[in-house]
Amino acid sequence: MKSINNWKSLVLALLSVMLLNGCGFKDIDKRFFVVSIGVDTAKNSSKKYLVSLKFAVPSSSKNNPTEFMIVSEKADTMSEAVRIIKTKVDKEIDFSHAKVIVFGDEVANQKGNSGINYWFIRRRDIQSIAWVAIGKPSALEVLKVQPKSEYIPSNALFLALGRDGSETPYTISEYLFDFKYRLSERGLDPLLPIIKAEKEIFEINTVGLYNKSQMKLVLNPEETKILNFLRNREEKSANRVTKGKTVIIIDTQKVKTKYKIYTPRGKAPYIKVLVSIEGILEESTRRVPNEKLSDYEKIAEKSINKEIEKLLVKIQKANLDPIGFGLRYRSRHFNNDDWEEWKRIYPTIKFKVKSKVQIEDTGLIE
Amino acid sequence: MNRYFLYLVLLNMLVNVIIFVPNILIQYRFEGAVMGVLIAIPIGVALNYLLSTTINKFPEQGMPEIIANSKHRWLKIIHFCGIQWIWFTAGLITLVGFIDILDRFINPEMPKMALLVIYLAAIFLIIQLPTDRVMYFLEIVLFLNTPLIAFIIFKAFTNDYLSWDSMLEVGTHIFERPSLKSIAAATYCFSGYTNLIIFNRLIKGRLKIWNFFAVFLLGIFNLFTTFFIPIGFHGSDGAQEFQYPWISTADSLRLAYSPIERVIFLFLMFYMSITLISISVHWHVSFELIKGTFKEKISKKKNLLILIFYAGCSVAGVIFLNTILLNKITVYWMIVRLGFEILLVVIFFIWTRRWTA
Repeated sequence: MKSINNWKSLVLALLSVMLLNGCGFKDIDKRFFVVSIGVDTAKNSSKKYLVSLKFAVPSSSKNNPTEFMIVSEKADTMSEAVRIIKTKVDKEIDFSHAKVIVFGDEVANQKGNSGINYWFIRRRDIQSIAWVAIGKPSALEVLKVQPKSEYIPSNALFLALGRDGSETPYTISEYLFDFKYRLSERGLDPLLPIIKAEKEIFEINTVGLYNKSQMKLVLNPEETKILNFLRNREEKSANRVTKGKTVIIIDTQKVKTKYKIYTPRGKAPYIKVLVSIEGILEESTRRVPNEKLSDYEKIAEKSINKEIEKLLVKIQKANLDPIGFGLRYRSRHFNNDDWEEWKRIYPTIKFKVKSKVQIEDTGLIE
Repeated sequence: MNRYFLYLVLLNMLVNVIIFVPNILIQYRFEGAVMGVLIAIPIGVALNYLLSTTINKFPEQGMPEIIANSKHRWLKIIHFCGIQWIWFTAGLITLVGFIDILDRFINPEMPKMALLVIYLAAIFLIIQLPTDRVMYFLEIVLFLNTPLIAFIIFKAFTNDYLSWDSMLEVGTHIFERPSLKSIAAATYCFSGYTNLIIFNRLIKGRLKIWNFFAVFLLGIFNLFTTFFIPIGFHGSDGAQEFQYPWISTADSLRLAYSPIERVIFLFLMFYMSITLISISVHWHVSFELIKGTFKEKISKKKNLLILIFYAGCSVAGVIFLNTILLNKITVYWMIVRLGFEILLVVIFFIWTRRWTA
C-alpha cells in the first residue's frame, strides 16, 4: 500500500509539470533559421551599422534549388538591429545554426567594434564555433553569393572555412571563440580571413591582421601561406624554387615550425625560427638529375629563409603579433612586468630563420 | 568494496564544473590560485585519509549507527543538525546552478519552475531509497557518463586551438601568495569522501592505501583540467570574462564528423544525469543525518515535512538567486565548507580515539 502511495504522489508531481508548461516551446515550422550574419557600415545614414541576416528558406521538395532570404537593417547596435529585423519576418529568428559571421571591410577598418564583437560571444544561442571572416567589398555582397555547387544556403562557405571541403594553405580560418581569445590576450593578435565575393564564387586566400581594435595589415596569398606554415596549421602546399633558368615546384608533405626567444645579456635579443619542410618534387621546367637534388634543396632553403624573414619583419614593423611571440615571452618569464618588457623588446628584435628542406621523392619520374 | 569510495570522490570531481569551482579559480589565476591548487592537493588527500581510516574502524556502519548509543543525546542532535547543512547547501547550490544552466542553454522559453519540479521529483524519489540503492544508481550513472566525458576531455586536450602558452603564462604566477578562496574552492574536488559518514554502510573491510594514491592522481588531473583547459581556450586574460568557463569551453569544441557538431549539447546531456545523482547523494546524506537525530523510526509525517522543507528551499533558491548572486555566495560558502569539513574530521577523529581508548 505504501509504495502505491509513493507512486501516486510522483505521478501527481509529474502531472503538475503540464500545468506549468504554458506556451514555451515553438515548433520548427515557426522558426526561421539564420545561417550567416553580415555586419557592414551603414551608408547615407546616421546609424552606425548595417546588419544583414541570411535566412535559409526550407523548400518543399528536394529538386528545388537552394533558396534563401536576406533581411538587412540599419542600427547603432546589434541588438537593436535584430529586434527590428524581428518585425520584418513572420517567424521567430533562431540563431542556433548561424555558422558564419562576416564583417564588412569598412567595419574591420574602423575602431570601436568591441560592442558587436562581444555581442556574439555574450549571446547564448550563437555558437562559439561559428567562423568569423572579413567580407570584400562588403559583408552583404558575400552573403548574396550563391555558388552553383551549393545545396544548402551558405554551405559553400561552411565547407571552405571548415576545411571539410577543400584544404588549402592559402585559407586561414578563424573560430569566434578564438577571435575573442586573441582580442583579449596580451601578446597574441587576431587575424581573420578575407572573403572576396565574385559573381558566383568566393575567393579566400588573403588574411587581415588585427591589432586589438581594428584591421591593420593585409597579407597577400604567398604571405598567408607562409603564416600558415609558421602557425603549424597546414602542411600541403606548393613552393616554387628557381635556379638559373630551371624552375621546380616542391609539393610539401610535412611542415614543422619551432621558435624560441633568446634574450642574451648585453646583446640584442633575437628569435630563432626553425622550419623543417619535407616534400615531393612535383614539376620542373627541365630535367633534374637525382644527384643534383641537394643543390635545389639548398636554394629552396635560402629562398624560404628570406621569405619568412621578410614576412616576420613586415608584421613586426606594423607592431602586430599574430603568431604569439609576446605570449611565448610572457609564458617563459616569471616576473610580473614581462608584458611591459616585451613591448620594449619587440620593435627591435631580430629574426634568425633557419629552414631545412628535404626533397624525398620525385614522383613517378626520376 | 573499495570502488564505492572512489565513486564518491570521483562524483565530486566531476560536478565541480557546475558548482563554480573553475570560475573561482580562474578569477584568482594571477592572485595565487596556482599556489592555492598546489596547497589544496595535500590538504584534500590528508583529510581523505584521516576520515576514511577513522570511519573504517566501524565497518558497514554509518555515522548515525556509530553514535546511536551515545549518552549525550543532545550533543548528537546538535552535531547532526549542524553538519547536515553542509550537504544540504552543497546540493542546493548545485541544483540552483544547474537549473540556471539548463534554462540558459537548453530551453530558455521553459519556466525555471517546471525544470525544478522535474528535478525535484526525481531527487525525492532517489533520496528516500536505502543507501545501497543510491550507490547502485550512482554506479550506473558514472558507468554510462564517465567514458564519454573522458572523451570530451581528450578532445579538448588534443585540440589545435588549445594554447599551452596561455596555460604556462598562468603557471608562471605560481609564486603569488595563495588566496584562501582558491584553496577552499580547490579542496572541494576532494571532498567527496565526506559522504562516507553515511555511505560507509556499504564499505566492507579496510580501505587500502592505493585508494588514496588514486585520489591523489585523480585530484591532480582533475584540478589541472578544471583550471587550465578553459584558460587554454579562452586565454589567460580572457577566461575570467565567462560566467561558466567550462560550458563555454565545451561550446568551443567541434566534432566535425559526429551526428551533433556542437559538443556543448553532449556535455550538458551527460551533466544532466551527473548533477542529478550528485544532488541526490548529498541530500541523501543530509536526509539520513536528520533521520539519525530521531530515536525511533521516522514517521511519515516527519518524512513529508523534511521533503517539503527541501522543496521550499529550492523553490526559494531558484526564485531569489540569480547567477551573479549565486556565484558570490558560493565563494564564501566554499570557505565555510572547508572550515566545517576540517572540524568534522577532527572532531570525529578525536571522538574515536577517546571511544576506543
